[in-house]
Amino acid sequence: MKQDMSLAMAAAATRDAPAKIVVRDLSFFYGQQKALKNISLSLPEKSVTAFIGPSGCGKSTLLRVFNRIYELYPKQRAEGEVLLDGRNILDRSQDLNLLRATIGMVFQKPTPYPMSIYENIAFGIRLYEKLSRSALDDRVEEALRRAALWEEVKDKLGQSGLGLSGGQQQRLCIARTVAVRPKVILLDEPASALDPISTAKIEELIDELRADYTIAIVTHNMQQAARISSRTAFMYLGELVEYDDTQTIFTSPRQKRTEEYITGRFG
Amino acid sequence: MAYATRRLRNLVMMTLCVVSAAIGLGWLLLILGALLYEGFSGLSVAVFTQMTPPPGEAGGLLNAILGSLLMTGIAVVVGTPIGVLAATYMAEYGRHARLTQVVRFINDILLSAPSIIVGLFVYELLVRRMGHFSAIAGAVALAVIVIPVVLRTTEDMLLLVPNALREAGTAIGAPRWIVIRSVAYRAARAGMITGVLLAVARVSGETAPLLFTALSNQFWSTDLNAPMASLPVTIFQFALSPYEDWQALAWTGALIITVAVLTLSILARTLGGRREGR
Repeated sequence: MKQDMSLAMAAAATRDAPAKIVVRDLSFFYGQQKALKNISLSLPEKSVTAFIGPSGCGKSTLLRVFNRIYELYPKQRAEGEVLLDGRNILDRSQDLNLLRATIGMVFQKPTPYPMSIYENIAFGIRLYEKLSRSALDDRVEEALRRAALWEEVKDKLGQSGLGLSGGQQQRLCIARTVAVRPKVILLDEPASALDPISTAKIEELIDELRADYTIAIVTHNMQQAARISSRTAFMYLGELVEYDDTQTIFTSPRQKRTEEYITGRFG
Repeated sequence: MAYATRRLRNLVMMTLCVVSAAIGLGWLLLILGALLYEGFSGLSVAVFTQMTPPPGEAGGLLNAILGSLLMTGIAVVVGTPIGVLAATYMAEYGRHARLTQVVRFINDILLSAPSIIVGLFVYELLVRRMGHFSAIAGAVALAVIVIPVVLRTTEDMLLLVPNALREAGTAIGAPRWIVIRSVAYRAARAGMITGVLLAVARVSGETAPLLFTALSNQFWSTDLNAPMASLPVTIFQFALSPYEDWQALAWTGALIITVAVLTLSILARTLGGRREGR
């Protein structure tokens, strides 16, 4: 009884938090194929929002709209509005590089740059800031500490990032994203290629980052969504089926399809 | 029964394969053996310090070695940036563009074009207009051969760089040219260097394009506007001559060039085979 009450309070708190990203009537096309169908939702500031749903439902696509990385490819386009702090990032006038520095992204497969561990972090910082050598050193250390990787790599910063284990590489990627001080972090199945111990570390990390960043995470792992997010969106065939407090989604979903997916009847 | 037949068939096929491989390799060993046998005795300090002699006199190959180094060097310095930039357009900016397909097709033709045609082309383009043979014409002819080799290997290597890596570079807020320079080039570096080394190996043995362009020169010359000696042309000229001392020098020159190309190829192999960052 008491637990239910505190959960309800937490949920209410999230609901009251100001929206960082507001999506309005967003549709997305791969050529002729419509992959997102009129999505509307808002992500509260400094909290974790999870996107779940079967493969091909559009959750990764939605994430890729938030930093407009889809524009690397021809024939992909978005319609509608995505407001970041009230400004439509889909607007033509939006500077894409600045947008991506503001909205960081971590991918499913760890993708260290072909450089040293130090350079992996410094690369992004140098793009937008001119720092002295010692200030840069500090920023690199700070980022690696935030990603709980410092102790493991502090003696081999000059070595290639590709020499790290998969879990370390993924934390390096998170460190590198955090290092440029974004406002939002997008995580596209960040732990699905990792072993359980590395996954646990990544989850702990996300839990610490939520205090400072607005986080959107796509995951196939429903326990993971339940553990780390305060809001959960269930998507299916390009539609947003249900979006609510994580607690509500996993205990008393309103939609039948949500319930069926969560209980493992399909997907 | 069936098993025995199958084993027999396997044995026959394997023998055929091994014999074929041995024949292929055998020729190579024979060539290397002949070169060592004929050319090694002629190796001396004089070869690397003296000019090509008139028949019957002592001399070396210094001017030819220098000419080869100079013209190959210029060809690579000119051809590599063009090849790399063209490949960068094709693999990074215009991957789906029609222009890319056209350039790739033409480049493949150029890659397999007989080098004597390149020589004739540069003869018409430069030598006739300038009115005389020159080292610069030779270098241009070699550069025309360098470009397609570098272009092809660079494009192949850039296409091998996973898109995930480009996305990762883009997602941190890096503009496209920085992603290409700092991420894609770095990931493809070993392969790109291999391509340049292969191009060097290829042009340093080319004779035909130089016959119509740089011609040859019996004396020491660093004038790019004048005919210049090169190892392959000197070998060609000396080997065809009736003088025994010239023929001996041709063998030695052939040995030098073969060893140099072999070293470059091995270097290219080692660099290409080494995984980045391991």
